[in-house]
Amino acid sequence: MIVQSIFFYLFSLIAIISAIMVTVSRNTVHSVFFLILDFVSISCLFIMGGAEFLGMIMLIVYVGAVAVLFLFVVMMLNVAQQENEWFQSKKGEKSSSSHIPVGFLISVIIFFELVIVIGGWKYKPEITNNLNLQLDIGITNTHSIGAVLYTEYIHLFQISGMILLVSMIGAIVLTYRKREGLKRQSYFNQISREKNSGVELVEVERDKGIKIDV
Amino acid sequence: MINLNFVFSEIFISISIMFLLILGVFKNRSSNLIYNLSILSLFIILISNYNLFGKDELTIFNNSYKIDFLSIFMKFLVIASGIFVMLSSSKYLKLNKIYKIEYPILILSSILGMMIMISANDLIVFYMGLELQSLALYVLASFNRDNVLSSESGLKYFVLSALSSGLLLYGCSLIYGFSGSTNFDQISANITEVQYGLTLGIVFIIVGLAFKISAVPFHMWAPDVYQGSPTSVTIFFAILPKIAALTVFIKFLYVPFVNLIDQWQIIIIFLSIASMLFGSIAAIGQQNLKRLMAYSSISHMGFALAGVAVGSNEGIQSSIIYISIYLMMNLAFFSCIFMLRRNNEYYEKIDDLSGLSKNHPILSISLLISLFSLAGIPPLAGFFAKFYIFMAVIEEQMYALAIIGLLSTVIAAFYYLRLIKTIYFDKELEKYDTNHNIGLRVSLAISTIIILLYFIYPSSLLAIISNIKVI
Repeated sequence: MIVQSIFFYLFSLIAIISAIMVTVSRNTVHSVFFLILDFVSISCLFIMGGAEFLGMIMLIVYVGAVAVLFLFVVMMLNVAQQENEWFQSKKGEKSSSSHIPVGFLISVIIFFELVIVIGGWKYKPEITNNLNLQLDIGITNTHSIGAVLYTEYIHLFQISGMILLVSMIGAIVLTYRKREGLKRQSYFNQISREKNSGVELVEVERDKGIKIDV
Repeated sequence: MINLNFVFSEIFISISIMFLLILGVFKNRSSNLIYNLSILSLFIILISNYNLFGKDELTIFNNSYKIDFLSIFMKFLVIASGIFVMLSSSKYLKLNKIYKIEYPILILSSILGMMIMISANDLIVFYMGLELQSLALYVLASFNRDNVLSSESGLKYFVLSALSSGLLLYGCSLIYGFSGSTNFDQISANITEVQYGLTLGIVFIIVGLAFKISAVPFHMWAPDVYQGSPTSVTIFFAILPKIAALTVFIKFLYVPFVNLIDQWQIIIIFLSIASMLFGSIAAIGQQNLKRLMAYSSISHMGFALAGVAVGSNEGIQSSIIYISIYLMMNLAFFSCIFMLRRNNEYYEKIDDLSGLSKNHPILSISLLISLFSLAGIPPLAGFFAKFYIFMAVIEEQMYALAIIGLLSTVIAAFYYLRLIKTIYFDKELEKYDTNHNIGLRVSLAISTIIILLYFIYPSSLLAIISNIKVI
């Protein structure tokens, strides 16, 4: 029991610190890294709480896809250095490009939501706990989802696969372009090149030079 | 144990999509091969689907997938028109440099989505099929991505269609909430009284479906998308999704909600009247043939919906006959548009038809037949289609609907006849090319002959369709 508590506090501490670092960090790339750390610690918490399927999905979807996508976008758009001051934009820029007041408002709202949810859960358990489900402790989440997903809903599972395939094909069709005039290395051509195709003897006139660019 | 013979077509088409994709990736310059192989695989599923005729109806996959006469017949129509569309458009694709390996694969996946939609007996399955087919259609609409109009049409269709899918999904959730099930049969068993939540859900789903068949007032996308997309995609848009969406209309309204007919009948009547009138009136000012066909298809969908609104088996049967003949007429008309080619460039304005009869008598005769049939002039097939609809409507004493339908037929006849006047009596232009490929000739010949000779033996189609009984 004591080990579990230690782990719980460890993961929670990391999650909270990295969440703070996401907002505080001046470098956007660092923020994304902290975001990934945050997701990982939270998925660890989920797994400890017995929701292993949710934890793994979080790891795959948020860390594997969403956060990496953020990282690519941030690196490509070249917005790594955030230059704004905390509450006002830099001198010379009159536009109110500071996001802090809005972000602060939203976090206050989220905080009050959490207070309400947790307060209700603490003092009036029947507000949130009105599930009538009969839960079997012996069967894991993954097992029970799999038991219906691959039997009763197998056709839906397959159709979703087809939908994802079509969306992938569509994205490639609409964006992929073969670039013209691209020079590619061909080992075969390089090795099989003969002397008389590569070397040419030219007479150079005195004081005039020669253009060797072909 | 599920009998997989009954979903052989769906499984086969999925496997051929994946196989053709892999083939296209590893073999260079294989677009011609893949195009022909996908036509071949459509032929195979057409035959396997034909073998299902006459089998008893059954539901599989936990009652969520129904194989009955209606779904087999509609799938047959979808696959057959898919074959004709692909046969007639290969030359167009080559000349417009969009003859890529992905094109037939997207067509196949869209057809797969339509087959799933048609057979669905469950809200979730229906929605997944709908998404599969529209996802492929978004890409097809903007397939000619270097063309501004094509990209615009794809984007417009994507945004509006996503919105309508959202409405539809919201309707599904309301129905699930109020009836406690997503299964059509189960919903029908659970409904004991009229609840406003259910009615609201039905309205949302009707809105989503009306968008897919471009019924007024959810038609705004159709003219732009028809005009902007490549013509080979326009013909696909004009025929296949309408068949699938009309089937879903019939199944959705008549299986779970047949007892709530008082609630939805008036909505369908409104959609029908508005589409008939608007489609006929707005088409008058058009100059582009594809845009004209968009308005014409809006008006034709109004007629098909009039059959659905009746609320009897005769009404549904007449509406299915209507859509079968509609697809033949559209096929004939668009094949003629594909033939308007001069020096490897395609023409699609009404003025380009001017004096066509002097240089191309056979093409003009085919256009004449398809236009007369679209206008509903006897003894061509289009007349019979409208005739059955009016019969079914009058049998249920819905005289207002019948009168407005007749009125809009008269208005629509004006612009079809104006096209014929342009073809036969206006100043002639330069000659068009005549070296068309065999697939285009075959599909034009077959569709024109069916339209022309339908009156000799009309009971052939009637006998098949009279087996469809939904109520």
